[in-house]
Amino acid sequence: MKKLQLAVISFFMMAIVIGLAACGQDEQGAGDQDSQSSQGQEQVELDLWHFDPGAREEVYKEAIQRFEEKNPNVTVNDLLIPNDDYKQRVVVSMSGGNPPDVFTSWGGGWLEEFVDSDQVRDLTDEDIDYDSFVDVALNNSTYDDKVFGLPLGISTYSFYYNKEIFEEHGLEVPETYDEFLNIIEVLKENDIYPLALANQPKWPGAFYLMYFADRLGGEEVFQDAYRRNGGGFDDEAYVQAGEYIQDLVGKDAFNPGFNGVPYDSGQGRQLMYTGDAAMMLMTTGFVNNVRQEFPEFEEKMGVFPFPTIEEGTGDPTNIAAGVSPVWSIAKDTEHPELTLELIKELTSVETAQGYLNKSGTPVAVKGVEVEDEYVTIFTDWINQANSIQFPYDQTLPPELAELHKNTTYELFGESITPEKAADAMEEKAQEILE
Amino acid sequence: MSTDSNVALEIQKQATEAHKRQNRKKSLSIFLFLVPAVIIYLIFILYPIIATFNYSLLDWNGMGEQVFIGLDNFKALFTDPAFWLALRNNMYLVLVSIFVQVPLGLLMALVILSSIRGKRALNVLYFLPYLMSAVAIGLLWVFMFDPAKGPINNVLNMFGFESISWLASNNIAIISVLIVLVWQFAPFYMILFKASMVGIPEELYEAAEIDGANGMQKFLNITFPSLMPTIVTSSILAVVGSLKTFDVFYIMVGGSSGGSTEILGTYMYRQTFVNFNMGYGSAISAVMFVIALASVIIILFSDSQRKKRGDLA
Repeated sequence: MKKLQLAVISFFMMAIVIGLAACGQDEQGAGDQDSQSSQGQEQVELDLWHFDPGAREEVYKEAIQRFEEKNPNVTVNDLLIPNDDYKQRVVVSMSGGNPPDVFTSWGGGWLEEFVDSDQVRDLTDEDIDYDSFVDVALNNSTYDDKVFGLPLGISTYSFYYNKEIFEEHGLEVPETYDEFLNIIEVLKENDIYPLALANQPKWPGAFYLMYFADRLGGEEVFQDAYRRNGGGFDDEAYVQAGEYIQDLVGKDAFNPGFNGVPYDSGQGRQLMYTGDAAMMLMTTGFVNNVRQEFPEFEEKMGVFPFPTIEEGTGDPTNIAAGVSPVWSIAKDTEHPELTLELIKELTSVETAQGYLNKSGTPVAVKGVEVEDEYVTIFTDWINQANSIQFPYDQTLPPELAELHKNTTYELFGESITPEKAADAMEEKAQEILE
Repeated sequence: MSTDSNVALEIQKQATEAHKRQNRKKSLSIFLFLVPAVIIYLIFILYPIIATFNYSLLDWNGMGEQVFIGLDNFKALFTDPAFWLALRNNMYLVLVSIFVQVPLGLLMALVILSSIRGKRALNVLYFLPYLMSAVAIGLLWVFMFDPAKGPINNVLNMFGFESISWLASNNIAIISVLIVLVWQFAPFYMILFKASMVGIPEELYEAAEIDGANGMQKFLNITFPSLMPTIVTSSILAVVGSLKTFDVFYIMVGGSSGGSTEILGTYMYRQTFVNFNMGYGSAISAVMFVIALASVIIILFSDSQRKKRGDLA
């Protein structure tokens, strides 16, 4: 009886031990097999992580296919992880010492955090034709004159509006801020929400602060504050920008409860599609969304840049834009050559052309043909721009970026004064930026 | 006589020896049975807890250099207003789960065990929320609470009330999420209570009826005392659960609102993964762990006191 019991237990223990050992061996075994397989060529798997769904993902998949055809012994495991989750997954994988070989980002302060931790491969001296990239976009992933990522898309931020509503009420695209305010008045009288805003994720509202500060004080305001060149985030332009925001909130220019409306789930865009709201300040991702969610809206849709503010000193050709995706290679990848080939394919003219055509977004790669109606406009803006402002939350170090979004969110929620918001930012900036 | 007793002692000794051996064998097999569970416990529970406490003593962004800074993270934490705000919000959550979720669960269990019509349908209806994934619940309620087109505001408008910006304004946002959490978790306690109510012997009620007790008296003197262990278990689960809450808050308010709806879980997440302060985030986790542990000890201790008093009486 006792013996039987012991035998049973031993059996279970053995099973578990063998099971565990088998799990551990699994990967090794697979590796062995790979290295011996066809034509004596090593079978390689590369992990690639990105965060773009829809048309953009399709474009990446096509690029990966081209890459795999050129390198038949390589399989690329591409993994799409939604935005917020993405940031977490990358951090965890990097700290766990098991990062994806190739990953994408927004460049700026977020990527710099990984660069500072020595997790990203320096691409400066690699065989890459840097002349084929748009300079400003490349600068976004260049730190201390070293390049750590190759940019593909440039997403411009501008107002999208409903042409039908504008025609119906005899409105014209505003050039000045006064005209813009006038439009808001007219729309309000006609029971239309002038501006759609889905500010729960906080970045949509931050666009307003960024544009107001730029139009009021010019691009130097941010540059001086960020580079610590005698400027600060408590600059008069930031206080004023806060006042402009709260003025719009006070005028009920936005849809009600905008601070609780998430962007991704689409209620904000829905207001635009249904004609409940007339204008929305958004990235080029909006075009991508319209084409996927409600293509009928495209014929009613128009775009215009952020209006000029008469009392401001900023150049009205200035534009805000974000660079993404930016392809980088993990420093510890076992396949330095192949990963380099892969990100070159992901930023090739062919890939860029597909990206441009399918997602309605300008690209950071030269030599593409612009056919898309919207991309033509956006590209013109980029070419004419005196300066391009990258979003603060992607440029600043993460902690300061987070505070920027929080204080701006509170400005919209009228739970903080413009002075206090600006002071809080400056205090943190002094702590974080040297 | 003396030899007899010696022999007797000897036999006794041998008997205890054998018994001991047998015991040892038994405990060996018990131990072997436990090993797999213990290994998993050590790797997935104990090690992360110790690692978290270890990280909480570091200045570390999660990837780069680790700098040992002693208790500086905790010093910073205890003077951090955002932490206290998050803790206060967590306390609301604890209070709501103990004083709303658990009693509501009890009430629901009473209803579906009573003899009313349609209790089967109610049984299913009550339990449905608990079966949904947190992400689905979060999104569902975001749409319910939508300020412009949401059904809740539509109903309010129908009765002539003004629309409410549920998730936008600071105080209402947290109440909105609490409503959802109650809706989500009350069914869980209902199941616990239902299970233990079924176990209460019918004789007790019959005896009470013979003694002429009414429904309320039966509940107060039989049902409620018999449920005490379940209530204690529920409270522990409620406290620990509400300290760990993350998902629904994260989805519904993005843990955002400039800190006003921040709870410890979301604050920890933000510090660790958004701001790259792995050390600071771990310090928050460590504090969460200590609070949860302390609460459980207090509840268990007061329960054992109650039992002692019960024995004396």
